[in-house]
Amino acid sequence: MSDSQRQKQKIQTRKKLIDVALNQFAKDGLTTTRTLDIASSAKVSHGTVFAHFATREILLDAVIEEFGIRITNRLHELVSTNCGMKDVLSAHLRGISEYESFYTQLILERRLLHESARNSLIMIQSAISFHIIQVAEREIEACKLCRMPVDLLFNTWVGLIHYYLGNGDLFAPGDFVLARYSQQLIEHYINLITLRTEDK
Amino acid sequence: MKMCIACGMPMKTQADFAMEDETKDYCVHCTRPDGTMQSYEEKLVSLTGFIVKTQGMDEKVAQMAAKEMLSKLPAWKV
Repeated sequence: MSDSQRQKQKIQTRKKLIDVALNQFAKDGLTTTRTLDIASSAKVSHGTVFAHFATREILLDAVIEEFGIRITNRLHELVSTNCGMKDVLSAHLRGISEYESFYTQLILERRLLHESARNSLIMIQSAISFHIIQVAEREIEACKLCRMPVDLLFNTWVGLIHYYLGNGDLFAPGDFVLARYSQQLIEHYINLITLRTEDK
Repeated sequence: MKMCIACGMPMKTQADFAMEDETKDYCVHCTRPDGTMQSYEEKLVSLTGFIVKTQGMDEKVAQMAAKEMLSKLPAWKV
């Protein structure tokens, strides 16, 4: 096998391990998933996992980073096209819903994670907030939305979503929360922040 | 898609690049008025401010997260 083929295979294995680990962390929890189970699901030896990621924490960091890239790239593409508030919120929830189980574990276990994982989540949320705020500021200036601190505008939105995800067993037992409630949550939130004629 | 070496932002359109120059490796947000790239100290202050503005977090927490983020980027890797 040539050096370039070996390099290509190395990249493919790393990518596969990240994809498999993301699913395993989603299923078994971020703090309790065993690398042995990730290796078994990826059909590689346990040693292969450590050849690519020196520790379990480094693997989890790589998974969170990949999740962040996927979710924020989608938002970045959409916001560049002058979309409205409803569009950006829908895109946010569509992005999360593709990884709903993983994201739910991430927010529920956040305080138990190592520092770099917690910091990565902060950066992901700031990137998401930035895109939502860009649209919100445009609509606030156009007198479509109520004027409010933009950090609270984002925190109110994400607080609502996290409440439903964190209590998924109450809202959608055995099912995906966002598949069931996205539309309702978006409409409710838009209703909360919309500037009404009588307020103008 | 190119990513800014100093802050990690994806640079999709020409307007995302420093001075709208697509040969640059850093983005419009990491550029000084003269077109040069901001220093580490400048980025740390702006990234900390970015976290505080977007999530309203405690400034010390935001600065720790900013330091961690910058340490992973090509421009600031030791």
